[in-house]
Amino acid sequence: MNRLMTATALLLATTGLASAEGVLQLYNWGNYTSPELLEKFKAETGITVTVTDYDSNDVALAKIEAGGHGFDLVVPSANYVQIFTEKGLTTPLDLARLPNHANIAPEWRGVEWDPGRANSIPWQWGTVGVAVDTAIYGGDINTSAVWLEVPDELKGKINVVPEMTDIVTLATLYYGGQPCSEDLEVLKKVRDGLLAAKPNWIAMDYGATEKMSNKDWAASVNWNGSTMRIRQNLPTVAYGYPREGYTLWMDSVMLLKDAQNVDEAYAFMDFILKPENAAMISNFARYANGVSGSEAFMDPEMATAPEVVIPEEHKAAGVFMPVCSETSREYMTAIWTELQK
Amino acid sequence: MAERSFHVARLPGFATTAIIVFLALYLPIITLVVYSFNASTSLAVWGGFSLDWYAKAWANTQVKDATMRSLIIASFAALISTTVATMAALGTTRRRAFKGQTAIYVMINQPLMVPEIVTAVALMILFGLIKQATGIHGLGYLILAHSAFCIPFAYLPIRARLEGMDLTLETAAADLYATPWQTFRRVTLPLLAPGMIAGAMLAFVISLDDVVITEFVKSGGQDTLPTYMLGQLRRQLTPEINAISTMLLAVTVVLLTAFFLLTRKKD
Repeated sequence: MNRLMTATALLLATTGLASAEGVLQLYNWGNYTSPELLEKFKAETGITVTVTDYDSNDVALAKIEAGGHGFDLVVPSANYVQIFTEKGLTTPLDLARLPNHANIAPEWRGVEWDPGRANSIPWQWGTVGVAVDTAIYGGDINTSAVWLEVPDELKGKINVVPEMTDIVTLATLYYGGQPCSEDLEVLKKVRDGLLAAKPNWIAMDYGATEKMSNKDWAASVNWNGSTMRIRQNLPTVAYGYPREGYTLWMDSVMLLKDAQNVDEAYAFMDFILKPENAAMISNFARYANGVSGSEAFMDPEMATAPEVVIPEEHKAAGVFMPVCSETSREYMTAIWTELQK
Repeated sequence: MAERSFHVARLPGFATTAIIVFLALYLPIITLVVYSFNASTSLAVWGGFSLDWYAKAWANTQVKDATMRSLIIASFAALISTTVATMAALGTTRRRAFKGQTAIYVMINQPLMVPEIVTAVALMILFGLIKQATGIHGLGYLILAHSAFCIPFAYLPIRARLEGMDLTLETAAADLYATPWQTFRRVTLPLLAPGMIAGAMLAFVISLDDVVITEFVKSGGQDTLPTYMLGQLRRQLTPEINAISTMLLAVTVVLLTAFFLLTRKKD
C-alpha cells in the first residue's frame, strides 16, 4: 500500500509529464501501433512514446477540441484531416524537418483532402470492396452488381457490412452519382436499388473474417485487410474492386497545435516515413502504409497480396470520402433508415 | 389450510420466468469466459483449449499499465468517496429531519440520475480548461471524477446502516461524559464500519468498470483497462479481450462476495 501511495503521489505531482525530456504522446486508434516500432524508435532516439487509445474520430476530435489533452500527435481518418485543419487544431508541417517526407508515394501525396501533404503524413490505408468465394460464384467480381443486382448463385449468401457512408457511397457510385450526392434523381435510384437488393442479402453484419472463412457466407461487402485474412483461410476467396467506384480510407498522422513535444513529434514522423519503419506498422496492423519502398520490408504474403496492393487497372476507380454537406448527410441517413427497416 | 398467504414463488410461470432471467443474465458471461480459453484468434470459432490469451494479456505492457492505473484510481476513488459519503450520511441521518433534506438527497444521488455521457462531456470541458490554464495533467482528474460518481454508491449502504442504528448507545456514551469525538470514535464508527466497508467495495467496483467518463477525462498515457478494451473495437477483437474480461470479472466477483458476506444480517 505504501508503494502504491508513493507511486500515486508521484503521478499526481507530475506536472510536467508532457514536456519532460525525450517523451512523446501519441493519440491513436486502439491496437494500431506496433510495440516493436516504438521499441526501435526508443533505441534509436531515446524518446519514449506513450500511446493512448481512442475508438472513433468523433471522440478524438471532441477531446482535442476541449483542450488540455496533453497529446502531441493524432491519427484521424481522411475526412477528419480536413476538419482538424479547418478548426485550427493542428499545425502545418515544417517539411524542412521531415527529410523523409519525399518517401510518401506520389498517389498519397496529391490527395485532395491534404494537397502536397502539408498537414498530415500517411499512417495506413485500405479499401472497401467485395469479397467473393469464387468456388460458388465464377462471374465478374469487379462490380457492385455482385451485391446490388445479386446473381442467382449468391442469393441469400451475401452479406453487407453495416457502414452507412461506405454502403450508400458504393451504391451512389454504382448508379452514376458522386459521393455526398444531393442529386435526388440519383438518390432515388440508390434507395430503390438498395431496397430491391436487400431481400437477397443474408445479413447486414460485421464479422466477415469468420463467417466467410467457415463458409457461412459466400460473399460480403468487406474491407481489404479482412479479405486477405479470409483468403489465407479459404484460398478460393477473391477481392473485387467495383469498377463503378469503391471507397478508399486512410488514417494520417497530424501534429497538434498545442503539442508540448514538437521536436520529438517531428523525429517520430520522420522515423515512420522510412520504408523499413512504415513496413513495421503494416506488418502489425495488416494494412498498407503509403510509403514508397516499404513493400520490400513487409511480410512477403502482404507485399504481393492483391487485396493490399491495388492492381494497376483498378486504381482509378478508388474514391476518397470527402466531408459531406449537412443536406447530403440527411439524405444518406434517410436512405439508411429505410434500409434498416 | 383454507387460505394461503400470498407468495411470489407460487405465482404461475414463476419457475419459467426465473430460469429465463438467469439464462439472460449469465449465459453471455459464461460464453465470454469459455471463449477466453479459445486457442484460435476468433471470438466465435472454437479452436481448442489453451491459456495462450491469458499469457498474451499478461505479457502485454499496455494491459499491465492500464490495470495498475485502474487499480490506483479505484482505490483512491473508493477511499475518497467513502469518506465523503460517511460524512454526508452522518449529516443527513444523525439529527432531526430538517428543511431541504430531500433536496440534499437528490444532490448526493445526482450521479445516479444524470446520464453518464452528460457528466463525461461536462467534466471534459471543465477539466480541459483547468488543464490548459495550469498545465497539470495528473491522474488526479480521473481520481476526482471517479470519486464524485462513486459517492452515491458508497452513501446508500452507509445510510442504510445508520438508519438501522438507534441513538441510545450514543446517548449513553454522552451521559458517561464521553466527548463527541470519543463517542464517534468508540461507538458510532465501530458500528458503522461494515456499512463503510461495503460502500467502499461497491465504489471500488463501480470505478473499476467505468468507461464513458474515463474515456472523456483521460489525458495522454492514462488508459484504464476498460478504455483500453474499448480502443480495440475498430480492429479485430481477439480472445485476449475475453481473457482480460474474465480476470476483471473474477476481481469483481470476489469483491461482491465480500460485500455480501459483510452486509448480511448476523442472525
